[in-house]
Amino acid sequence: MSREELIQRTYARWLEAASGLAFGAALLAFVVYASGLLPAFVPLEELPALWHLSADEYRARSGAPARWGWLELLAFSDYLSLACIALIGLVTLLCYLAILPLLLRLGERLQAALATAQLLVLLLAASGLLAGAH
Amino acid sequence: MDGVVASWWAWPAALFVVSFAIGVVAVVAGVGGGVLFVPIVASFFPFHLDFVRGAGLLFALAGTLAAGPTLLENRMASLRLAVPLALSGSIASFAGALVGLALPTDLVQLALGATVVAIALLIWRTKDLTAGSGETDALGTILRLRGRYQDPADGLAIDWRTRRTVAGFAAFAGIGFFGGVFGLGAGFANVPALNLLMAAPLKVAVGTSGLIISIVNSSAAWVYIHRGALLPALAVPAILGVMLGSRLGARLLTRTPASVVRRMVIAVMLLAGGRALLRGLGAWS
Repeated sequence: MSREELIQRTYARWLEAASGLAFGAALLAFVVYASGLLPAFVPLEELPALWHLSADEYRARSGAPARWGWLELLAFSDYLSLACIALIGLVTLLCYLAILPLLLRLGERLQAALATAQLLVLLLAASGLLAGAH
Repeated sequence: MDGVVASWWAWPAALFVVSFAIGVVAVVAGVGGGVLFVPIVASFFPFHLDFVRGAGLLFALAGTLAAGPTLLENRMASLRLAVPLALSGSIASFAGALVGLALPTDLVQLALGATVVAIALLIWRTKDLTAGSGETDALGTILRLRGRYQDPADGLAIDWRTRRTVAGFAAFAGIGFFGGVFGLGAGFANVPALNLLMAAPLKVAVGTSGLIISIVNSSAAWVYIHRGALLPALAVPAILGVMLGSRLGARLLTRTPASVVRRMVIAVMLLAGGRALLRGLGAWS
């Protein structure tokens, strides 16, 4: 196997596993949410009266939090579901973390530097600092 | 109100069906899906554009993540090519999002429509730049932006290498910036930039475009999450639909002749671009 194939396949393998887990978790949490197994912060039955509002209006009307405030609401099924959706946003980060040591081991310094820079961009985005700037 | 409340699940169920159909087309056309999802769902569903855009971003992200392993395994997507270009696109898309929020919506729609239609016409009028045509440049050589893939549609092994790498970086920065301004991701322009500008074969351009979208949108998704613009009741049916649809699309990509992919790219771009153009002109609210 060439180094190209090794890197591609490593990324593909992690992508397959991580996205599968994230999608599975998102689906499972959504089943919990839709079935009513856990209480929702905003009940599903009330959503049709709210989903036509802007995100700001929705938060004001429902009392929903912004930024990392939703972490305190994970006992509610809608925010548990949101947390599992957020895992999808971490899949690429995980894949980059997986190939970075491989790139370094194979002497792919330039690709490793680019991957490190991408990781920093992803971490910055996930931190919420950019959302705060908006 | 009571009638609406009793049928809350009907709209998410319809969203799942639409997302599946778009997922199949999006992977084959390499446009990410968000560029189709957002105008279609915003037009025919009762959700606010904030939540449509949030779901659309996750929709495009999920579709490209789901298709990624297949595209990487069969060498239709090149990670080596995606890594530098996605970095350029990711950084620029943040700047674009900041600018986009300050611009009037009609102006953004008009610019988006004009850009997409112009690119679609450019692809239509230009012959496919096949594998390795043109001379590679110094930066492309340093980054080793080349590869080989076996096209299952015609059984040929194709060696390819890119050219105009600096211009490619600039293009992806520009695409990322405008993608951020338009709030649709950047997939609609990735394929022509990879194919026409950098001379990647069309199928590699389509596959790598999907990989780049998955990287760029991973960053942008967090902005929507932190701003409360993601409703799980909309996002999950959309994600599930596109995930299943894009897996089918990824398999169709290996069996579909390049000319068919080209026609699909043009059709999808004209559809999405025309829609945005009409909205920008106020002719289709």
